[in-house]
Amino acid sequence: MEHSKQKQYGSSENKETGHSSVLNGHFDGTVKRPAAGPSLPPAAESGSQRPVMESWREERTRSVEDNEMSLPSLAAAYTTILRGLGEDPQRQGLLKTPWRAATAMQFFTKGYQEKIIADVLNDAIFDEDHDEMVIVKDIDMFSMCEHHLVPIFGRVHIGYLPNKRVLGLSKLARIVEIYSRRLQVQERLTKQIAVAITEALQPTGVGVVIEATHMCMVMRGVQKMNSKTVTSTMLGVFREDPKTRDEFLTLIRS
Amino acid sequence: MEYQQDVEINGEDEYLNICKHNGLCKKEKDSKDDTDSNKLSHIEKAYTTILGELGEDVDREGLLRTPLRAAKAMQFFTKGYKETTQDILNDAIFDENHDEMVIVKDIELFSLCEHHLVPFFGKAHIAYLPNKKVVGLSKLARIVEIFSRRLQVQERLTKQIASAISESLEPAGVAVVIEAAHMCMVMRGVQKMNASTVTSVMLGTFQDNPTTRKEFLALIKT
Repeated sequence: MEHSKQKQYGSSENKETGHSSVLNGHFDGTVKRPAAGPSLPPAAESGSQRPVMESWREERTRSVEDNEMSLPSLAAAYTTILRGLGEDPQRQGLLKTPWRAATAMQFFTKGYQEKIIADVLNDAIFDEDHDEMVIVKDIDMFSMCEHHLVPIFGRVHIGYLPNKRVLGLSKLARIVEIYSRRLQVQERLTKQIAVAITEALQPTGVGVVIEATHMCMVMRGVQKMNSKTVTSTMLGVFREDPKTRDEFLTLIRS
Repeated sequence: MEYQQDVEINGEDEYLNICKHNGLCKKEKDSKDDTDSNKLSHIEKAYTTILGELGEDVDREGLLRTPLRAAKAMQFFTKGYKETTQDILNDAIFDENHDEMVIVKDIELFSLCEHHLVPFFGKAHIAYLPNKKVVGLSKLARIVEIFSRRLQVQERLTKQIASAISESLEPAGVAVVIEAAHMCMVMRGVQKMNASTVTSVMLGTFQDNPTTRKEFLALIKT
């Protein structure tokens, strides 16, 4: 547990382990700490956010062994939750629920275990003399709202203009999986996907559109059943050239 | 109903905070307020542990108040434990000389799978054949809310709704059909996006008379 805890909270541990990697801790859309600097207090950190996306090359810090080691504490936490809600954890239907819920939650956050370079992209970048738009649309996406720990689901549409290098099509969907199976905010998810593709392929442009339903809005709170949230990130020529953007948006609608 | 009966037999009423007697339980409820906020903080701590064990950084900005929000959300999703049909139905039963089928369909339903603590949601269609007593229409939707805002199994949920209506109205027949998508099947496990589960309970005339049942099923399809 000690070892994995060190990896999980890369704060002062940065100095001890001598890692020069900035983001040994967890990605939150900002660069948390300078590489070899002293650890900043949390208040200063959030105040001094540099608006830089984490590099997609960043290693994730959760491993399969970590998963197995965390399972008993996760299960115990879920048992506490069941009791706190007034349920009887000993009744037949709930006997193994803490373990099932813990495994389910680990599955919903498996994006923390996956490394884009090693696992996904290494083999599937090809040199191809193609410079027309490539779109993969209607990719089903399931994520967890980081504010309420309740599911978000929807569809992702990705378009890019290759610059002599194309990516295996399913790898676009795998990039979506890696970033969506985390505690997320839809805006950040959209940007992460776009930046990952940009950094991997250096295309002329990338466009990502996500339409999703947030259970935190549907099942509780305002309870608006039919509402959908749409976010988009346009990079490169998709941002600069309105015609390219229009073409992309039209093609994903049809 | 089975589930509630089991609980009473085991003498574990207090776990479920089920108040069967509207007035008498108010005192209980007041003294339980402390325990309620205690419970909230236990659940909150459990969520903080969960976030840590999943490998997240609980101090990052987006997660700072997440344990509290998640705990409150979970309490909202299980608020049905504190509600009873008597609370909501008492005033809204009317004597009416009507004995034709009354259907309320497409009632949105959100519940939590008791096995994985993951939502399942869909629609409920309810019909009953009144026997001189009709119920306010929104009360049918409120009954669905009471039983669905709990840790549930779809089969039991359907039966509980049907039994509750049957016991309070004593109609000639009750039918409940629920179609729902289970996120535990869609987001994980087999990952079948479009699968939906349909369960139904037919009581009284709906069970005995195939024509009545057919009429109901035809009307909920349109």
